[in-house]
Amino acid sequence: MTKPEGELLPGTFELLLLKALSLGAMHGWGIAERIERLSAGVFAVQQGAVYPALQRLLNRGLVTAEWRITEKSRRARYYRLTVAGRRHLEAETAWWRRATGGMSRVLRAAEQES
Amino acid sequence: MAWFHAIRERLGGMFRGGARDRALAEEIRHHLELETARQIERGHPPERARALARARFGNPEWVSEDTRDERGIPLARGIGNDLRWAIRSLRKQPGFTALALFTLALGIGVTTAAFAVLDTVLLRPLPYAESGRLVVIRERAVDRSVMFPSYPNFADWRERTRSFDGVASWQTFPRSQTVSVGTERLRVVSLGVSRRFFEVLGVRPFLGRTFTDLENALGGPPVVMVSHAFWATQMAGRTPLGSIDLGATSAEVVGVLPPGFEFLGKTELFLPHERGPGTVRNAHNYIVIARLAPNTPLQTAQTEMTVLSQSLLAVHGSATQAVDADVQPLREYLVGSYRTLLAVVFGAAALVLLIACTNLVSAQLARGLTRGRDVAIRTALGAPRFRLVRQLAVESTVLTGGGTILGIALALAVVRTVRLFGSALVPRLGELAVDFRTLAFAALVAVITMGFVGFYPALRLAGGNIIDTLRGVRGPGLVVRTVVWRMLVGFQVAIAVVLVVGSALLIRTLGNIMSADTGLNVRGVATANYIPRDLQPQEFERIRTELAAIPGVTGAALANRLPFAWSSYSAPVRRPGDPGDRDWPALAGFRVVSPEYFGVLEQPILKGRGFTPDDRAVSQPVAIITPGIAEQLWPGEDPIGKQISSNYMFDRWLTVVGVAAEASHWSMARGGQNEIFAPLAQAPQEARFQLTALLRTRGEPRALLPAVRARFRQAAPDLPVQLGILEDVIERSAADRRFAMLALTLFGSVALLLAGVGIYGVMSYTVAVRSQEIGVRMALGATPWAVQAQILRRALFMAAGGVAAGTLAGLFATRYLQSILYGVTRLDPAVFAASGGILLLTALLGAYLPARRSSRIDPLTTIRAD
Repeated sequence: MTKPEGELLPGTFELLLLKALSLGAMHGWGIAERIERLSAGVFAVQQGAVYPALQRLLNRGLVTAEWRITEKSRRARYYRLTVAGRRHLEAETAWWRRATGGMSRVLRAAEQES
Repeated sequence: MAWFHAIRERLGGMFRGGARDRALAEEIRHHLELETARQIERGHPPERARALARARFGNPEWVSEDTRDERGIPLARGIGNDLRWAIRSLRKQPGFTALALFTLALGIGVTTAAFAVLDTVLLRPLPYAESGRLVVIRERAVDRSVMFPSYPNFADWRERTRSFDGVASWQTFPRSQTVSVGTERLRVVSLGVSRRFFEVLGVRPFLGRTFTDLENALGGPPVVMVSHAFWATQMAGRTPLGSIDLGATSAEVVGVLPPGFEFLGKTELFLPHERGPGTVRNAHNYIVIARLAPNTPLQTAQTEMTVLSQSLLAVHGSATQAVDADVQPLREYLVGSYRTLLAVVFGAAALVLLIACTNLVSAQLARGLTRGRDVAIRTALGAPRFRLVRQLAVESTVLTGGGTILGIALALAVVRTVRLFGSALVPRLGELAVDFRTLAFAALVAVITMGFVGFYPALRLAGGNIIDTLRGVRGPGLVVRTVVWRMLVGFQVAIAVVLVVGSALLIRTLGNIMSADTGLNVRGVATANYIPRDLQPQEFERIRTELAAIPGVTGAALANRLPFAWSSYSAPVRRPGDPGDRDWPALAGFRVVSPEYFGVLEQPILKGRGFTPDDRAVSQPVAIITPGIAEQLWPGEDPIGKQISSNYMFDRWLTVVGVAAEASHWSMARGGQNEIFAPLAQAPQEARFQLTALLRTRGEPRALLPAVRARFRQAAPDLPVQLGILEDVIERSAADRRFAMLALTLFGSVALLLAGVGIYGVMSYTVAVRSQEIGVRMALGATPWAVQAQILRRALFMAAGGVAAGTLAGLFATRYLQSILYGVTRLDPAVFAASGGILLLTALLGAYLPARRSSRIDPLTTIRAD
């Protein structure tokens, strides 16, 4: 069975959200747009999926939300990382680095041996 | 401070749900606007841009759903949210919801009502104290047939038995009679009862007392007991009870029966029948009721009665026709013959419920298939699979709950209707009500239905391969699922076949009963029954001529009883020289008639002559007999001019002047209904204590009844009269069959409707799923007709499987109908063929709309759709 392209590993989506928000407060559409841009289209999730995920982050206190007026003078809900969120992002990023670094070393070694 | 945020978020989710939902909706709307704007920037026309934005976003409904689910406290959101979700999702599909509720209500309502009927008539004990000990005793004739006992036999039984705590009797059937309370004349139903009748039943009067032994004895004073309803309404609940006018005499009201007491329906007056002269030993006018002594088995009582009957026979010889007695439980006597019938009706109702459930399961599966993608996406994004199962199950629970409530409402309506119209068809239906037992049954049905309809599709749906559905695989997975679905629909068709076969067999039974040859013409005859008291023959003749002169009446005759009525009791017949005690050469019913009788009823005189006005009291006594008597008394000889006599009514020799065709209706043994006719003018007084005028009418006799009543009032102002239609005698004799036929026809129609809906559903889905394939075929040049034909063929194929299975099931199921069919075998090929045909036709009708839709598919749109 081949792995379909763009499928997310469990838990990674929230990390992507935190990363997108680390660039500054943003509303839902902007976050979805940032993720697409940052991942160069590799992660093609439905945009609607950001809202349940954001709610989960709100529940854990990793982000906060407030209503602001956009440049086009429209009311929008902006999400922003909390201190806890930033700490969480850093910890998760470090873990991912270690994990993916280790993983790619193993894979490279395996390629050379075969 | 993270915990603080979390708590604030979740609590806020609980208490400010409405405001938050609106906010979320605004967020999503804003999101879609921004995305649309971006797509327009990229050069898409606005319409297309909106569609693209929507596609990239996903289903807003699911998004807000999942977001909402992340708020609140898990336990509370489990109950509240799922319910809200279910109701919202049902409201968004009003068509499906209405159909599901309707189907469930129908299935549950019909089954509950059928249970109420079954429970009331068969299962519940009779409403008398220790009713299990009550038995009915009747006589058995020499041919083992059961007869009503005579008064002298009853009196001997009462005196000489040991197995009973009490023996009483009532006068065969309730009668209709006129009474006056104050200045008001009323028609009421009365029943003659013996001494200690109410004591045997274990009923205590509500007011006053029961009859004393002196009152209920030859020459006792005129007294009466009344029902509670009669006392409360007609007598305005008065005390002291006073007396009421029975027409001939004024009778003292000695007691009022308790509210709700019923015996043989709503009898209003109870009269002491032992005041009248005890008639001869073979006038079968009473039914004996007795209470078994404690711990006495029925068999002991039966043995005692058999021995007693034999000793009575030894003493009285041919004066009694009872050679044995038959003891059976009162409940068995009242409702025993309805057991098969009601079981059939209940079984049919259960089948309707089964079809209803099947329909819902397939509808849920269909919705599951169309939702499959959504479910898969949500599961992939972290919604726990268990929660999805639970949501679907909650939705089904809400549906079943609603369906049950509607079903109980329907059952209430059905029960009310059945109580009104069914009490004439089946005994005890007057007591019918939806009570605690019925509701408990409905609840049980609801729980079973819920398990069947709710959890099966939900589990099945959640068990599907998420990844395949997500990627839009339309391969083997989907094919397998419609196979299950199509099997369900085939199953429905099979059940519908069984029900339609059953109803067709009963429709034919009733047709056969109503058109069966009776030996005379029952159609178009009105009847007027009256008690002439001590009228002279000239008076009967005057009333008869008056009635015959009514416009629309073409002939009028008189008889001492209706054709067919009371033929179950027979008197022994003798030839000159027969010993006349125990060895009876023939038994026959006696009927006293006016000369016009055979002409008015069109009963053929096969030999000799009919009666004429010249057969007078003073002329030679004559008789007309039926062929059976001639065959038994004078085989191979000409009966005309022969002499007969009987110890019943006629104590002189009658000369046979004619032979009339035998009259018998469907439930009577053909060829066994011996009758001796004698001229009314020559009959003794006791043979004409009541008379019936039979009026042959032009057109519908019912329409003439008001004119008959008016003319009768004119001719005999002080005689109570009871009008009727002769054909109703036959119809009443088949009342139980009619009840079963109506029920089965109703259920059969519902089953047809549901099967049609089921076929429509599966074919619609097939067309939707195969629209691509169909589009390709049409692009390749298939004609719309060919596409339609393919869909119709598939529907027919599916239905044919169901018809085959149903026919097979019908071959067995009709066994239960065997005993109530008449003139048609349970395996009648025409009935089976017609029922199968009806189902195939239903399948075509159900598939017609989807087929038409399929031929209108636009090849280009469907190919582009993916």
